[in-house]
Amino acid sequence: MPVRSRKWLALAVLLLSMIIVMGLATSCFASEEGVPPFPDIAKIGWTAVNFFLLLAILYKFGFNPVSNMLEERTNTIESSLRHAEELLVEVEQMRKDSANELAEARREAQEIVARATQIAEETKNEIISRAEAEATSLKNKAIAEIQAEKEQALSELRDTAATLAIMAAEKVLGRALTDEDHQVMVREFIKDAGDLLC
Amino acid sequence: MIFALELPMQEPLFTIADKLPVPELVVTEWAIILIIGLFAYMATRKMERVPRGLQNAFEMVVQWTFDFFGQMLGESVAKKWTPILSTFFLFILISNYSGLLPGAAYIDGFKAPTSDWNVTATLAIIVFFSVHIAGFREHKMHYFGHFIQPSPLMLPLNIIEEVARPLSLTLRLFGNVFGEEMIIGFLLMMAPFLIPMPMMALGLLTGAIQAIVFTILASSYIAGATGEGH
Repeated sequence: MPVRSRKWLALAVLLLSMIIVMGLATSCFASEEGVPPFPDIAKIGWTAVNFFLLLAILYKFGFNPVSNMLEERTNTIESSLRHAEELLVEVEQMRKDSANELAEARREAQEIVARATQIAEETKNEIISRAEAEATSLKNKAIAEIQAEKEQALSELRDTAATLAIMAAEKVLGRALTDEDHQVMVREFIKDAGDLLC
Repeated sequence: MIFALELPMQEPLFTIADKLPVPELVVTEWAIILIIGLFAYMATRKMERVPRGLQNAFEMVVQWTFDFFGQMLGESVAKKWTPILSTFFLFILISNYSGLLPGAAYIDGFKAPTSDWNVTATLAIIVFFSVHIAGFREHKMHYFGHFIQPSPLMLPLNIIEEVARPLSLTLRLFGNVFGEEMIIGFLLMMAPFLIPMPMMALGLLTGAIQAIVFTILASSYIAGATGEGH
């Protein structure tokens, strides 16, 4: 037999012997000490009373307070959760409202900008058209004035030329010209002078 | 002829009003009740919504027992029977541990109450009645139908089964605790130091195991009585 197996065998025998010795000694002690008599009514009655007393004490100081506390805690948690859900709905509604308001504000802003742009465009066009009209009127006025000035200058020139012509003719002829002469001469002179001037 | 039944009785520690004998073991039980009661009182004295310290531990234990028995018995039955089952567990656990003082088995007033079969028998009888009350409350008169299931011929066997349950609960708990105390006592006689320590450490384990076994068996009997099939 190998050494290792022999060791295990010896250990098993030792253990078994110890158990047997302990068992025998225990039974000896038990018989000497004696198993408590049965049924001992006092012990049975008192134990039953004591057990229910302990049950009552545990109900009063253990199970009831703990159950109440657990129930209270459950209620608190449930109400907190419900409140949180309500808040969540409220927040969601607020978010939707604010998003709507933001969209509305954006739309209004866009409208305002569009309206302002339109007004500005109209004003610009009006200013331009008014300026053009004014410019045109000024130009026409200036043209008319120039024309008038020109007419006046030509008229004055004609008069001066006629006078000079009469004076020159009088010098040449050595006599005063009759109205008929005047008219003939002036007409011819004006005709020539006009051709030259124009 | 009148037959006078002489019941066995140990010498009481004292008597109340010369009529009510109080054995030593009962005083130990009162001490156990005081310890458990004080612990419960301290834990639930100032209940706070956010639990701390002892309250937290106590709540955790209570919640755990409700969950544990809830799985075995179903929510509604567990709500009714968890307190009594938890009381069995605490009472047996602390009783078993009360005998862990060295030589407790040989010191009057320090013996574990569960090392006396009068105590274990009382607990088993309470379980017996609890089982049938639970079954009757759940199924009313239909409950008694299970005694003649699957055939009326099975009635004697079913009755034996019902009687065997408290008997086995009584003897299992008593045998384990009594035997363990005897062995520790014997080892103490042989060698007062160190040698009994492993057995006492084992006693811590077996004390808890016996309390768990008793409680789980009681709850399984209740589950059987309240469950389907009646």
